[in-house]
Amino acid sequence: MTRKLAALIVGLALAASAANAAPSPKDWAAVARLPDWSGVWAPDVVDQNAQVHGDPPPWKPEVARQVAALEAQEKAGRPKGLFVDCLPHGMPALMLVTHNPIEFVFAPGRVILLGESDGNRLRRIRTDGRPHAADPDPSFFGDAIGRWEGGALVVDTVGVLPQTYIAVSEAVGIPNDGDLHVVERIRLEGADTLVDELTITAPHVLTGPWTTRRLYHRQRDPAAEIVEGVCLQGRYLESRDADGHAAFSLLPLGEDGAPAPPK
Amino acid sequence: MSRAAAFVLAAALCVSAPCGALAHHSFAMYDMNRVVTLAGAVKAVQWTNPHVVIWVETAPAGGPSQLWTVEATSPGNLGRIGWTRRALNPGDKVEVEIAPLRDGGHGGSLKKVKLVATGQVLSGNWVQPGKP
Repeated sequence: MTRKLAALIVGLALAASAANAAPSPKDWAAVARLPDWSGVWAPDVVDQNAQVHGDPPPWKPEVARQVAALEAQEKAGRPKGLFVDCLPHGMPALMLVTHNPIEFVFAPGRVILLGESDGNRLRRIRTDGRPHAADPDPSFFGDAIGRWEGGALVVDTVGVLPQTYIAVSEAVGIPNDGDLHVVERIRLEGADTLVDELTITAPHVLTGPWTTRRLYHRQRDPAAEIVEGVCLQGRYLESRDADGHAAFSLLPLGEDGAPAPPK
Repeated sequence: MSRAAAFVLAAALCVSAPCGALAHHSFAMYDMNRVVTLAGAVKAVQWTNPHVVIWVETAPAGGPSQLWTVEATSPGNLGRIGWTRRALNPGDKVEVEIAPLRDGGHGGSLKKVKLVATGQVLSGNWVQPGKP
């Protein structure tokens, strides 16, 4: 081996293990050329329902029976609460059934999606050209890498916890059961509508990929800006602790077992 | 069923898990095709996620007062249709239209509320903000 070749190999090895580079002015300038996704994006809830009814997920037969049972429960006024535990919606449920708006933050090498309500509605999409992590810890929103194709952001998500739901409403959904793969193509349609075309592959519960779309409408009114929302906060009343300090206390229960209003 | 029946239902769905009455849930326990109008006074307001709760005390003729639990969407979604956390206050006389619990309990999903003193009407319908 020549000395030159050895140096090249060492150099490549060093490059592979290098720290993430600080963004340059050129990197920030590239961000400025991306499509304008500023503002607050409210989900089109009517269209969510239309999509689900017009083109439902291709559930496996045994799963379809479970879905039918959940739908019957919901229709009877006894909905299963998929999200009552206040854990994150996760992927793909967040994009499929959220009733709260989302916003985007662009930075060199990544796109951040922030959702309202439940402080942990947060997706980090790496757009720096990296591949998926070799063995990511399973997480609610998974290991997400993205690339810009024209005006569209193509996001590829794997490494999602098997417990996250493929949800068609807040009361009807089935855990993905593992090996979930979601590919999204997110783009502007007209000035103020964002379209997310999702292809969801969940081999344990679906017979094949499910392609569906969700719409979000832009709002620029300052009154529409996203506010903090903590799901668990609803279980607590604002009160005082033994020393008189402001504190949270669990909602008290009345004699009938139902939470009672503050005295 | 009981006064804060919405919560009982939500809690019952959680079986043995310590799941919150005010947790993020479907509204299918409410009959969206029916309207019940409550006349009474605001007893308390819980302006928190995921769902704002308004407790309303009514005084039916010839009977004891009733406490109704009225559930709305989140503070953020209400803010987008003109609400603030100060919109309703304890003691306010109100007329409230709700989609009632299907089982007849004293709870419902907010359709709209009118402040008797000013005539101001606040809607609970938040579904399509921003749609062009």
